[in-house]
Amino acid sequence: MSDERFPTNLRSLVLRPFQRRTWRSFAVFLMLLGPGIITSNVDNDAGGITTYSLAGSEYGLAFLWTLIPITVALIVIQEMCARMGVISGKGLSDLIRERFGARITFYLMIVLILANLGNTVAEFAGVAASLEIFGISRYVSVPAAAVFVWWLVVKGNYKTVEKAFLVACLFYLSYIVSGFMGRPDWGEIGEAFITPTLRMDGAFLMMAVGLVGTTIAPWMQFFLQSSIVDKGLKAADYPVTRIDVIFGSITVNVVAFFIIMLCAVTLFKSGIRIDSAQDAALALAPLAGDYCAWLFAFGLLNASLFAASILPLSTAYTVCEAFGWESSLNCKFTEAPQFYGLYALMIILGAGIILLPDVPLISIMYYSQVVNGLLLPVVLVFMLILVNDRRIMGDYTNSRGMNAFSWLTVGILILLSCALVFAALFY
Amino acid sequence: MAVNQESQVFLFLSQILGKKIIDTMGRPLGVLADLVVNPAESYPLVTDILVSSRRNAPPLVIPWERVADCNGRFTVRPEAGGALPGRVLAENELLLRDALLDKQIVDTDGAKVRRVNDLQFLKAHRCLYLVHVDVGFRGLMRRAGLVKVMDVFLRWFFDYTLTDQWISWKFVQPLSTPDLLRLSITQARLSQLHPADLADIIEDLDIHKRTAVFQSLDVETAAETLEETDPKIQVRLIEDMMPEKSADIIEEMSLSEAADLLGDLPKEKADGILKEMEQEVAEDVKELLTHPEETAGGLMTTAFPKALPEMSAGEALDYLRREAEEMDTIHYLYVTDAEDCLLGVISLREILMADPAVALKDLMDERVVAVGLDEEPDEIAEQFAKYGVTAIPVVDDDDRIEGVILFKNLLEAVAPHLGK
Repeated sequence: MSDERFPTNLRSLVLRPFQRRTWRSFAVFLMLLGPGIITSNVDNDAGGITTYSLAGSEYGLAFLWTLIPITVALIVIQEMCARMGVISGKGLSDLIRERFGARITFYLMIVLILANLGNTVAEFAGVAASLEIFGISRYVSVPAAAVFVWWLVVKGNYKTVEKAFLVACLFYLSYIVSGFMGRPDWGEIGEAFITPTLRMDGAFLMMAVGLVGTTIAPWMQFFLQSSIVDKGLKAADYPVTRIDVIFGSITVNVVAFFIIMLCAVTLFKSGIRIDSAQDAALALAPLAGDYCAWLFAFGLLNASLFAASILPLSTAYTVCEAFGWESSLNCKFTEAPQFYGLYALMIILGAGIILLPDVPLISIMYYSQVVNGLLLPVVLVFMLILVNDRRIMGDYTNSRGMNAFSWLTVGILILLSCALVFAALFY
Repeated sequence: MAVNQESQVFLFLSQILGKKIIDTMGRPLGVLADLVVNPAESYPLVTDILVSSRRNAPPLVIPWERVADCNGRFTVRPEAGGALPGRVLAENELLLRDALLDKQIVDTDGAKVRRVNDLQFLKAHRCLYLVHVDVGFRGLMRRAGLVKVMDVFLRWFFDYTLTDQWISWKFVQPLSTPDLLRLSITQARLSQLHPADLADIIEDLDIHKRTAVFQSLDVETAAETLEETDPKIQVRLIEDMMPEKSADIIEEMSLSEAADLLGDLPKEKADGILKEMEQEVAEDVKELLTHPEETAGGLMTTAFPKALPEMSAGEALDYLRREAEEMDTIHYLYVTDAEDCLLGVISLREILMADPAVALKDLMDERVVAVGLDEEPDEIAEQFAKYGVTAIPVVDDDDRIEGVILFKNLLEAVAPHLGK
């Protein structure tokens, strides 16, 4: 059945648009531009900015090199997701349910809900932390953000606001500009970038897992695949989608590079530990001077709200899809109770936990990413089995090289997670 | 069915999958991997079992007659020679786990897409009949192994018992392979659905199943369903079809809907389809395509009845009866002169009540409300609301009638979110 619908040779598809119809395909590219870029910008959320800042401020340039393997892994993984979405026309949780059955899916969804809840809490922590810079109490900012997100998604026009969020993501450029203005020692940075350093202590391993977890967050894979399915992309559009995904993946890591590097040369060098968002903002001092805190607060707020408006919704969609429950914002509550229930649960708990007295915001944003890192290998194993299933993917299964690399990534991640658990238990 | 009450037992697929299977001598044969039924029966009988013995080896197909006992464990009688017969499945046979468990189905009673959590069998006369499909939360918890925990929890804390949600097999349309949709019995199931519900269902499915379901519909149902479907999905469905087949379907649609759809298609594809359509219909559609979609010209249909003022009421009735099938509306008969200039309007009710010998010019209402070709939807809505009509004629600058806007089509333009 797949034979008549899809041309068999993927390579000819990849090459063709860029030989003859360059301009037309550029227009198509702009039109399809979306899932990959959006996903990667949501990826730099509150948890991401915090984890990168902590990595730089506590370990200097030591983690810079990890961005090379992380970028490659991110590209490989997102590409698989995109391909599965285009070829099967189904979301990731749908595929997992049909291939692995109800029991495994049920427990996976429970874990995913908990991990995503952690991430949602982190987003609201980001809202609280950023607005505290302006002296706004979290007891005002967090409920207001929760109401805003709810209204935006359920009642408002999300698609328009999404564009505003994306434009505001240009904030990340300020890290890059700031990076050059600080006149760092590029020789030293270059060397750190290509020299792998590894330490076998628990905190170091945890940071490594956190970095992987925040860059390659499990929920992103579900979100990316659903967005691609929603767009109704066809096999013929796939090469463009692939460029979109690769471009997005690289953007994430360029931003990560500059955040880590800046925090290393500003905070780490002067021995400042990040205890609040105020400290993390100092990395932008070369660009904004005394206003760095405001700039940082704006960026963190945007990142947090952007992700907070996507995460709870994406979680509700993912779970409802797996269990066959009605899931659409066009439904009324009585038509889709599970969908709205999950959505409400994520937002109410996500915002509610931040309002508990003395909740440490930075730690929440950081540890939620470590949990992501621990869950990632599990999701990857499912993805790899699915993407190699000929009944689902037809001729679009993984190449041998991709499989070797992916399984190697999974192996390293599992080793890393085991080492972390081991170190946490015995040291 | 006269069945001995005591021998009736309900079984779930999830309870018996993976059970050990032994032969009558007590030697292990493997585990139960799947069940085979013929889905065309109203309550399909399990005809064979699939036994997987070793990894990588293809599963054995064992006829149900050879199953001696299925209480607790499955015992199989080997044939006289001790060997078990193997056979290949025929096309109309259904593997239950493979094609149904955890997959999507259409509940034709509730007009919804559901996911199968479990299958329920009735065991009677030593035979297994597939009777229900479990789509409820309780079935899901049973699969997760938590049903007892959940029941106790709900009873203790909320004094509540969650009920099962079962759909009778006769309301179930499996979707997992296109072959299942071609079976005549299941076709009949889908045709019980209203086209508007079918459209909702199609929108809920993934791209491959959408195409499969849509292509299994007969031309008329397909056309009605397409009219109710989201424009983006309309385009995808038509793009996946051969021009001849899509031309047949589009001809059955109302002219204005057909024009909207063809306008959304890529130029080459639309031209290809227009070429395959009946020339007369194609001409009308092309005419409509020249008007912008969001104006009176784009909303109107050209398949409406009109007559000269000299025609009698009796002749008018005959004319309407003859043309009704081809028309998108027959609620009003528009009276025009030889140049198509609009002179008046008569409702179907007035024609029915009138003396058949009276000429239309003596019956018609000359105070006819019409709109111009480039009128905006909001303005047209005003006219509809003010005059309480169900259709409004569209005229050009010289007062010649060009088409008629139906209330239905206007509603889609001014309130697109309703009914989607």
